[in-house]
Amino acid sequence: MRLLCITLLLVLATVQHLHASDLERRLEAVFLGRFASFIELPDNSRDRFVITLIDDNPFGGMLDQIYKDKTIHNKPIVVRTVTRVREIGKTDILFITLSTTAARQEAIEYAHRNGIVTISEARGFAERGGIIQLNFVGQKTQIRINYAAAQRSGIKIGAPLLSIATVLRGEEP
Amino acid sequence: MKPALNLTIILALLANTAFAAQEKAVRESNELYERPLDELVYIETQAKADVGSREGARDALDAAVPIDVITAEQLESSGYTELGKVLSKLVPGFNFPRPSITDGTDHAPPFTLRGLNPDQVLVLVNGKRQHQSSLLNMNGTIGRGSSGVDLNTIPLRSIERIEVLRDGAAAQYGSDAIAGIINIILKGHDRKSSLTGSYGSTFKGDGRMRQGDTFLSVALPDDGYLNLTAEARDRGPTNRAGADDRDGYRINTHFGDADTQDYLLAVNAAVPRGDTIYYLHGTFDRRLSSAGAFYRLKDDERNIQSIYPNGFLPRIEPKIMDLSLSTGAKGVLGNGTTWDLSYTLGYNEFKFYVNNSLNRSLGLTTPTSFYSGATSYLQQVINLDLAKKLGNHSVAGGLEYRLERYRISSGDEASYVLGSFHDWAAGAQGFGGFMPENRVTAKRDSFAAYLDAKYALFPWMHIDGAVRYEQYSDFGSTIDGKLALRVRPTEDLLLRASGSTGFRAPSLTQANFTSTAMVRNGSEIDRWGYFNVNHPVARALGATDLKPEKSLHFTSGIVYQPRSNFSISADYFITWIDDRIMPTGYIASWNLSGLSPQAAAILSSNNIDGAVYFTNAISTRTNGFDLRLNYTLTFDSSSRLKLTGAYNRSEAKITKVNAAPSVLGVDMTSLVLDPNTRVTIENGQPVDSFKLWTKYESRLFDAVLNLNRFGSYSSTSGYDKVDFSALWTVDLEFTWHLMKNMNITIGGENILDAMPDTWGQTSDSVIGAGKIIQYSQYSPIGYNGAYYYARLGFTF
Repeated sequence: MRLLCITLLLVLATVQHLHASDLERRLEAVFLGRFASFIELPDNSRDRFVITLIDDNPFGGMLDQIYKDKTIHNKPIVVRTVTRVREIGKTDILFITLSTTAARQEAIEYAHRNGIVTISEARGFAERGGIIQLNFVGQKTQIRINYAAAQRSGIKIGAPLLSIATVLRGEEP
Repeated sequence: MKPALNLTIILALLANTAFAAQEKAVRESNELYERPLDELVYIETQAKADVGSREGARDALDAAVPIDVITAEQLESSGYTELGKVLSKLVPGFNFPRPSITDGTDHAPPFTLRGLNPDQVLVLVNGKRQHQSSLLNMNGTIGRGSSGVDLNTIPLRSIERIEVLRDGAAAQYGSDAIAGIINIILKGHDRKSSLTGSYGSTFKGDGRMRQGDTFLSVALPDDGYLNLTAEARDRGPTNRAGADDRDGYRINTHFGDADTQDYLLAVNAAVPRGDTIYYLHGTFDRRLSSAGAFYRLKDDERNIQSIYPNGFLPRIEPKIMDLSLSTGAKGVLGNGTTWDLSYTLGYNEFKFYVNNSLNRSLGLTTPTSFYSGATSYLQQVINLDLAKKLGNHSVAGGLEYRLERYRISSGDEASYVLGSFHDWAAGAQGFGGFMPENRVTAKRDSFAAYLDAKYALFPWMHIDGAVRYEQYSDFGSTIDGKLALRVRPTEDLLLRASGSTGFRAPSLTQANFTSTAMVRNGSEIDRWGYFNVNHPVARALGATDLKPEKSLHFTSGIVYQPRSNFSISADYFITWIDDRIMPTGYIASWNLSGLSPQAAAILSSNNIDGAVYFTNAISTRTNGFDLRLNYTLTFDSSSRLKLTGAYNRSEAKITKVNAAPSVLGVDMTSLVLDPNTRVTIENGQPVDSFKLWTKYESRLFDAVLNLNRFGSYSSTSGYDKVDFSALWTVDLEFTWHLMKNMNITIGGENILDAMPDTWGQTSDSVIGAGKIIQYSQYSPIGYNGAYYYARLGFTF
């Protein structure tokens, strides 16, 4: 009985309640996959679609739960978390929660070299070369896409996604 | 059944519920996943709030303490353009009466929260302490004896949202956070510029409002911004005074809103540089205002008929200036520690001018316009906040230094002097000037150190703790603490409870306000009026240094949110406050029966007719509950219906009366609690209030319907309590989106022209049904009746 009690306590201690009102987090989790479906990556050779989170994982187990039965570009989805840029390896989407500009910049540059779509909530992310900046302002979703940076990375972004975003075209036509 | 078995069953149920909740979360996320992108971006996410935590903005409904968030959309869907009036329609328990014939208070009406005093609520702008007004409300208004923040100095269009924390939080934010905190967040990044013009008038044809504003947002590199708001507001007076039967049934008095012109500015800017953001925000208001005093009839002893053959209405016309400015830098260190270093300046100044008046005692040499002196209040705050997340836990702390200065300057000699033509009608009629002996420059400083921590026992159970130490140069130190528990047993349900201690430092205005007048007593000139607690006369009459008001709070509540678009919450609260600071009654032998011969001798030997000073007088208990309901129904990617219902009930009771100074020979009840004061504290504000805000929005038009209930309240006529019944009002607004960037709005506040009860039959010659003043100035909706308006807006 004592063992059962301890087991249940441990289970409860690890359960993350993503409450109903945390809609921002749910939308963010959904957007990761939905964005990907409108994006064509330069390296399409892997047999799995990989979403990597660097630094914190604000979603808990939600991404695994949402994406376990789904596919993106007909590929099963893998969600992984890393803490350092050198651990990123091969991935399709990199969700960046790194807290300092320098660390984010390092991640952006790595992604740029490897044709990876970067997504972050950080202010100024798109202006600094990130591909997609996702914010919630006044209880509304705001998407900012650095189209020029995407093109430089060989990433193609579909019109439906561009149509709902503020697009930074930089020096691109 | 064995205890271990009981525990196992409970834990098993909880675990089962937790897994069921997780499944539900995933199911709802999958539903979202199937929706088109344009629908996903149309979804309105949860309201966020910064207040009550140093961790940054978090979901208001997930907080350990109750927080309401009023959005810019709600604020801007009102015909009123003054923040105080708008909030009185949106926040239950927010009381904003419209006092009239109350000297300076006509021009900067105070607001209250949960039936407490205007100075028992802390106002923040972008999380930084907003200064109070230099005006001490001294006439018989709600909030008599206190100074509050003048909310109408902040342009409505500059505001992104307002967070109302419904809990004591002095252990986190320091003095004043007893009834709660109002945190005004200015519009920041990624906002559209706008240009708005509005025009309105009461149904009775007065109170004409002409208003125009512009909000200009300039994007700076790295998502920085420079936002500027400018507003000009011209509000004409309203008048609900009745005919004066002593003056040929002429309406000779002004009883209604003051005639005001406000010129407002707001700035909010952020300039990111790497991991540091440099910021600046502030507001400025220049207000010119005019309201009347009581009418002086032609044969009134205070009139000189050769100057005013038909009598006169003195006009009190202050020029008010209010400025606040915060600047600083914030950022994040390499180890994830966030920091924020800021300097905040606040300044408020009232310059009192009186026109269409006279100084009876100067005879025919009297001027008819006067400068009656000024009050000013300056506050400077230096603040450093640090915060760090440690996994699911967090810790924050900070230091704060605050410097305050309160000043009274004297007016023209003619505004206060007692000339030889009259024995008691000294100074400017309507508002006698501050005398040179009333001049005050009072300063104090305070230092605070504080620590907040959140400890996650489990991901679904947090304990928040806070402790704050403050050292004031005038009254010494305080230490306060807070503990809050937040439990989320299931995804849908949140249980919360908190307990805290708090305080309110005696304001510099209360400790230093001095306003005296002269009266001839035979060959002597006596003084009478308000004496600060350090004045020798006040000291001789038993005044002591003011102590802080001390408070104790408990709040507990429940939030049920089965879906992201539907939530209900209920919270119970109770607040005890000891040593509440109040002005004494008029200490004079003829007014206080039983006044000791010793006190009478002190008055006589100092040539004082009578004196008033501030003292720690009573303890009170305020308890009640709040209910909230939010529901949003989205029809498609361009239309939805939003509904917010809210109810508050607050009951106040005087629980203890402190001992009066023995030198006076009377008890504190006789000294401070005349029937009017008691009724004002316990029953002067609505016992309950209900707000229902609904909005239907679509591509073509928006419609807003508000239903408000303002609960019953009481006042006194003479020594008799008079009850005023609750009233309901309905507001309606339609906005047509003529073009993508242009809309036109028509609407009405209180469209059914509801009016508060009149006084009924009284023995008073001026106040009563059918008399000059027919309505109580405690009325929570004022007494203007219906107000209709039109508004034209552009975004760019």
